Amino acid sequence: MSLQVIDNATCTFCGCVCDDIQLHHDEVRIHEAKRACVLGTAWFLNHTAEKKHPDALVDGREASLDEAIEAAAALLHAADMPLVYGMSNTTCEAQKQCAALADQLGGLLDSHTSL
Amino acid sequence: MGGKVTCTLGEVKQRADFIVYWGGNPAECHPRHFTKYTIMQKSKFLPRGRKDRTMVLVDIRETKSAKAADIFLQVKPGKDFELITILRAMIKDQHVTDEQIAVTGLSREVLDDLVGRMKGAKFGCMFFGMGLSMTRGKHMNSAALLTLAAEMNAFTKFVAMPMRGHGNVTGADVIMRWQTGFPFGITFNRGYPRYNPGEFSTVDVLVRGDCDAAFIIGADPGATMPQPAIEHLKRIPTIVLDPHVTHTSRLSRVHITTAPQGIAAPGTAYRMDEIPLPLKPPLKSPYPTDEQVVRRINEAIAAKPFWMPEGSQPQMLTAQV
Repeated sequence: MSLQVIDNATCTFCGCVCDDIQLHHDEVRIHEAKRACVLGTAWFLNHTAEKKHPDALVDGREASLDEAIEAAAALLHAADMPLVYGMSNTTCEAQKQCAALADQLGGLLDSHTSL
Repeated sequence: MGGKVTCTLGEVKQRADFIVYWGGNPAECHPRHFTKYTIMQKSKFLPRGRKDRTMVLVDIRETKSAKAADIFLQVKPGKDFELITILRAMIKDQHVTDEQIAVTGLSREVLDDLVGRMKGAKFGCMFFGMGLSMTRGKHMNSAALLTLAAEMNAFTKFVAMPMRGHGNVTGADVIMRWQTGFPFGITFNRGYPRYNPGEFSTVDVLVRGDCDAAFIIGADPGATMPQPAIEHLKRIPTIVLDPHVTHTSRLSRVHITTAPQGIAAPGTAYRMDEIPLPLKPPLKSPYPTDEQVVRRINEAIAAKPFWMPEGSQPQMLTAQV
């Protein structure tokens, strides 16, 4: 099977966010990341579309996505002072949802910047 | 831009003939920074590329980046703030004693030469890394360096820029600034955003044991935070969203696997100079994206009763008149 090529892909490993990477993939894994540095190559080649992990874990047991979302919502809603933290390895669209989450919970919101 | 005297990496690439890296190791942590944006690039204004540019590295030890530098200044650990303050005085020809200089581990000749080069540059840019912002003095060091950059503009064009790691951490700053007015360390516990790093920043909150639940996304504090913070994460219900089962997932009550950004999840990421770039994910993940999951959690919480009693919510000014 021939590989598909994506030009000018964006690497999100470090703050350089290089947007000139050429990716060669077969829809399951990326085989080559041209112009990427050592760190970027490792980042692209180490992620696959395979199902390696369970959809979700609740109290250490495998659970469905719906159960996990309900459990997460219940735990966060029950808390008096929940913390929303991280947001480094995620998209701006998800970060906006996180800000909305902290807002409606009346909780704390913080990123890696403060570490 | 939060009041920084800064610019985009495109301007650095085109114009910066004097580049300082302070407390960072781009050769190993941002491998393409030299070649893509700074010292190796030829441009209209710097046609000879590397020959037209001067690079200074300030660090506490000789890292791999020192090989690329024209001048390497080995500052004593924890004396960055002193060195910046001395430079701020020296550019204005204010008196600095030999004892004050000796504290930094550098000599007057070296600093005179540096100040001369800084003032002689057409466009100077100082990149500062965690070696400056995460050591003794913390954000005061960053503030001092940004002030030095601002004050250098009395003599020539000068800017400063943080070297951000961790993918889209710049995006997190930008999104929080846009949504709340503050970049990090925020609380909504009065119904409106308030900002106080040290009080509302995560490490402090966890070490004091202030929060009673944690929602962790795109980070692995279980592997990076100090032990007392991890102990608190174990005590409280923790929810983790990550493409992998991480250290934090193992101590959490709920883990949800999500698609990795830029590889299987589309969206936007910010470069360190606050330029938003679209992602081009090549793969289709069997997992949902972070955005989809957080949106669904938001909807599930919105269906439950709101935490503030009716009538006690802060009102908009327009609602009061």
